[in-house]
Amino acid sequence: MSLFARAFNKKPDRRRYLLKDHLGRWINWSIGFRTRDDRVQQAVEFRDGQVHVLKAIPADVDVMLEFPAPRDVMDMIRATPDEILNMVRRGRIVIHGNSVLGTLFNFYVSLLMRDGQLKKLARAREADAKAVAKEAPPEGAHERLVEGVTQRKRSLLKWKPEFGRDPGVSYLRDPYLSDLRLEDFPRLQKFLDVHFNTRPEICPERALLLTEWFKDNGFEETREGKPWVPELRQALAFKALMERRRPIVREGDLLAGTTTSKEIGVVLYPDGVGTMIWGELLTVPHRLLNPYDVTPETVEVLHHEVFPYWIWRNFKEKIREEKGNPLCQQIDDRFAVYFLWKTVALSHTVPDFAKLLAKGTRGIVADLRAEMESAAPGEEEKRVTLEAMITCLEGLEAYAANLAGEAERLARACDDPARRAELEELAKICRKVPAHPAETLHEAVQAIWTAWVGLHMENTNAGLSIGRLDRLLQPYFEADAAKVKDDPAKFDALVRRAVELVACFFMRCTDHLPLIPDIGNYLFGGSSSDQAITVGGVTPSGEDAVCDMTYVVLKATEVLNVRDPNVNARYYPGVNSDAYLRRLCEVNFLTAATPSLHNDRVVIDALLECGHEPEDARDWAATGCVEPTMSGKHFGHTNCMMFSMVAALEMALNDGRHPLLEWNLGPRTGSVDQFESFEQFFEAFRRQFAFLVDQSVEYNNLLGLEHQVLRPTPLLSSLVEGTTRAGRDVTKGGAKYNSSGVACIGLADVTDSLLAIKKLVFDDGVVSFCELKDAVDANFEGNAALFATLRKKVPLFGSGSDEAVTMANRVVALAREEFGRHKNYRGGPYVVGFWSMSNHVAFGNLAGALPSGRLAGKAFTPGLTPQAHASENLLDNVRDVARLDFRKVANNVAFNVKVAPKPGEAHADVVEHLFHYAKTYFQLGGMQMQLNVVTSDTLRDAMARPEAYRNLLVRISGYNAYFVTLNRDMQRELIERAEFGG
Amino acid sequence: MNAMVADAAGEGGAGRVRPLILRIKGNSLDDGPGIRSVLFFKGCPLRCAWCHNPESQRTEPELSFDGESCVGCGRCEQVCPRKAIRLRKPERIDRNKCDDCFACADACPGGALERVGTPATVEEVVEAVLVDKPFFDASGGGVTLSGGEPTLHLEFAGRIARALKGAGVHVLLETCGHFRWDAFERNLLPWLDEVYFDVKLVDPGEHRRWCGVGNELILENLAKLVDSSVPMLPRVPLVPGVTDAEENLRAISSLFQGLGLRRVALLPYNPTWHGKARALGRRVEFKRDSFLTKGELARARDCFHAFEVVA
Repeated sequence: MSLFARAFNKKPDRRRYLLKDHLGRWINWSIGFRTRDDRVQQAVEFRDGQVHVLKAIPADVDVMLEFPAPRDVMDMIRATPDEILNMVRRGRIVIHGNSVLGTLFNFYVSLLMRDGQLKKLARAREADAKAVAKEAPPEGAHERLVEGVTQRKRSLLKWKPEFGRDPGVSYLRDPYLSDLRLEDFPRLQKFLDVHFNTRPEICPERALLLTEWFKDNGFEETREGKPWVPELRQALAFKALMERRRPIVREGDLLAGTTTSKEIGVVLYPDGVGTMIWGELLTVPHRLLNPYDVTPETVEVLHHEVFPYWIWRNFKEKIREEKGNPLCQQIDDRFAVYFLWKTVALSHTVPDFAKLLAKGTRGIVADLRAEMESAAPGEEEKRVTLEAMITCLEGLEAYAANLAGEAERLARACDDPARRAELEELAKICRKVPAHPAETLHEAVQAIWTAWVGLHMENTNAGLSIGRLDRLLQPYFEADAAKVKDDPAKFDALVRRAVELVACFFMRCTDHLPLIPDIGNYLFGGSSSDQAITVGGVTPSGEDAVCDMTYVVLKATEVLNVRDPNVNARYYPGVNSDAYLRRLCEVNFLTAATPSLHNDRVVIDALLECGHEPEDARDWAATGCVEPTMSGKHFGHTNCMMFSMVAALEMALNDGRHPLLEWNLGPRTGSVDQFESFEQFFEAFRRQFAFLVDQSVEYNNLLGLEHQVLRPTPLLSSLVEGTTRAGRDVTKGGAKYNSSGVACIGLADVTDSLLAIKKLVFDDGVVSFCELKDAVDANFEGNAALFATLRKKVPLFGSGSDEAVTMANRVVALAREEFGRHKNYRGGPYVVGFWSMSNHVAFGNLAGALPSGRLAGKAFTPGLTPQAHASENLLDNVRDVARLDFRKVANNVAFNVKVAPKPGEAHADVVEHLFHYAKTYFQLGGMQMQLNVVTSDTLRDAMARPEAYRNLLVRISGYNAYFVTLNRDMQRELIERAEFGG
Repeated sequence: MNAMVADAAGEGGAGRVRPLILRIKGNSLDDGPGIRSVLFFKGCPLRCAWCHNPESQRTEPELSFDGESCVGCGRCEQVCPRKAIRLRKPERIDRNKCDDCFACADACPGGALERVGTPATVEEVVEAVLVDKPFFDASGGGVTLSGGEPTLHLEFAGRIARALKGAGVHVLLETCGHFRWDAFERNLLPWLDEVYFDVKLVDPGEHRRWCGVGNELILENLAKLVDSSVPMLPRVPLVPGVTDAEENLRAISSLFQGLGLRRVALLPYNPTWHGKARALGRRVEFKRDSFLTKGELARARDCFHAFEVVA
């Protein structure tokens, strides 16, 4: 440690990193190091540009790192930043106090050890490549495997009259648009090249401009020393940001505007978890998974100008400071039990773009002013809130005007007459929308995009979703089509342009990435920002909603094959046509993994069960992954948390102790030798579950309240119904609907474990609970017979077993009941869903073996998918899943099905099989299904030879990712999923 | 013979073997139109040297051992009343001592030792396959009776087919064609929607040599089926060096043409049966252990150029 101190004190070029800003102020703080046995007790103090080593840890130390043993301290010092994060995850480092300062310390370590860290990373990369090469299929199979994916798009299905037709498809002759291919869109091919060949870069623009504004104008108080109304502060800062951002019109693009100043930017939200990248700033271009570029200027700006400002001004640390690091927060800090998304984002919702398109921002402002005028004299807060919304909408208009100016400038400088005309047209469009109502398809798409950029400058780019794009755009497509419908050539050009516009919009949506610190590569592997788009289903009045634009969006989905936006399709059995469902299945085959398929009837029924109005329930759209939001009316933070149900089970098996965390966390519910019946054990499980629900809900509510102070969202509020009349921000419950949505993880693992305990211990007496528990604790080493019995002789969920389905429904009911007891801080209910992003891998990694026979550290099953060995028959999986009580599951589910087409199987046959599976699953009452149409061999090949598979899409649990960007555990989980052929 | 399988009180009359079901395979896409469940019967009158499902040949239940699933717990050794199991031996079972009591299979935790062939009632079988009826309906699929040889238990198979038919399920029979026509016509044919009929060798002597019985009855039945109203698809297994000899294929081709048949299915040889035979303690005498080459397949297809060849 004294070496560490000297390395800074003696070297001016290092010492300057102790500065907080360009005004010459220092970051003053301290960090302690302690082992559990107290053998190590030291602190480092940073004060006024000097580093001091202290023998004793001061009582008011800002952050303290606790280690199991001295060995772990040494390991940390030598570790790379990603390894440090993994040590935190595995409990080899426990952070007490401000975690942002913990990452600052990592930055300092990295400053000294960077060269060694890079060498280590390079060695790790080599070792990994070797390990993967061992598992890879033989070189000779490579070509055939690649071919198996790439040849799919060679023949496309043509629509046939016997498939049927939805009445809303009024213009397209062949709704499948089977004569259009990527090759017809050179513009898109170029964008895809950029997308796949450009390394994302950390973009400081948003963070810097906002931080500068707050430094000038105050955060807690105004320059005049009055407390800020947070809505107004955020609105003014937002407006300034939108005025000052660089307006960018990209080469060849049909849409103007970007969320970032980089080609592909990692946008930072330092009031969330943006500061987590601090410790990795110097090594992030070299990390194994999803490296980012970062310029030296960006490092300087972030380290000196941005991050120090946010050390205490972020959702997590505010709570730590104000509430004294409550238990509910300590649990979240340890990763193994639940993960609260509100530490990152709140706006998992769908704004009201229909209103924006119909009224323009001017129309909305007029409504807001009218409401302000009618506000009663005492309603000052309402008035200010509405004013904040107006300010934000003006910010959008200012940005659009800047884009128009930029397009005009580019047009003047452009030699190519065709492009010049495009730019002039674009300038005209940006002069008109989003201020005024859109009248053409191009205007509508640009209006949505401009607003989308603005929304992402306000809200974290995690799960904010676009809604029913087909229905939003159909009126504008119809208006365009009516003008040319009698001229076939012009009409064809119009359709082609419609596909191109939607595809440009998709590609614009890929210009930004959420910040994923390396630990996130393990928690949310390969996730983009999960901007969900929804198509199909029924209208608010219950009519068939499939229209021309449904098929246009699907065509864009097919030709691009990109992971984001996340396309979700609603299918209403008996209302939507077979032609539509068949096309959905074809696109899944062609893209290997998208769109995800939803049973509209079942989702709507679940929403109605919550008491929502039928017209609103029928207007739902997927959010982030799969979760339903009632478009434009519902602020439902649908991914407020990822909750491991397995943690409750492990604690029930250990009398309240969490084994991996070695923490006596929950209530004492008895040790396994004390349970006399299965019901007694289930009650113990229920109590642990309830305890964890109480804790997670408490933290969620605290974080929600912190959002109201740190980052209310007036722009988003202006696009959600209910806020105007209430004069209240969405973060404060201004929306018409105000739920919070939970993702419960491990349904199959918990169900199968409970049934194994019930059958083997209590029903059949094959084994004592103690013996079973001992075997579980030993990861089944030394008890192969019991392990085999569990794997082969106990009925599993997904094997076609009534008992297992009954048990699964019991767990579903429990989750719904326990979360249902609570209200959120906005007065809304908690609803549950069963999907997992990639947290079934992350949580699984941090859990021991289970009575289901799942081994320690292995992934849980994704979403509510049965275990891979539950049955060789896909239909057993499908039937069991379809029998779950989905009325209790208003936050939706993710059911993965991996289907491997046989070599040489005809295109139409593959589509036909998928169509029959999907159709029957929905008839049986299944809620959601997502396909991976790929073989495990192909995935293994992709692990070893990623360059040939850069756009190979896979469905994780709710979202899409490029397989090659995933961490190895996640890749293996995908490979080990049951693969169903004929 | 084991008392469990001797048909004392059951159907079919005293002294006859009670029908056993090998397994029900759901979600089959290869055994007829649409999504199907395939009901495998145990027992076959033929003894084809290359039989893809050797476990389906004998009518009696058998003990199968899969070394890879064995965890070495030794429970089988403990429970075996005949001391027929030796944990140290790779093949585990002394087949001469074993009397198929299956105590070991019941005790085996990992399913390494398994009883092959389970008695079932018509009702049980029908109930088990009907769970997938929604999939049959959506896809134009149904149930395929296969084996083994379903016609070995004509009355039993007929009652199943009749029940399924009554439930609105499409029923398809896969057969080797070796059955008594009058009983077939009476018991099973009325409930069938389609038949897949295998023809292997035209020369009766060769047929006897490779399949254990002559083919006279088979060819007779083929002709009768052609005259019946039930759609029929003839299938020819392509066994390298045996059935795929050009002379044989040409003879089959002209036989089919003579019967006015226009479509044929060719079934390329599949060597994966070797493992299954070994698990049952059988010697593998037909040694070919690779799939057909492209050339072999093309030559075979040539012989049927006048036909629509379906997969």
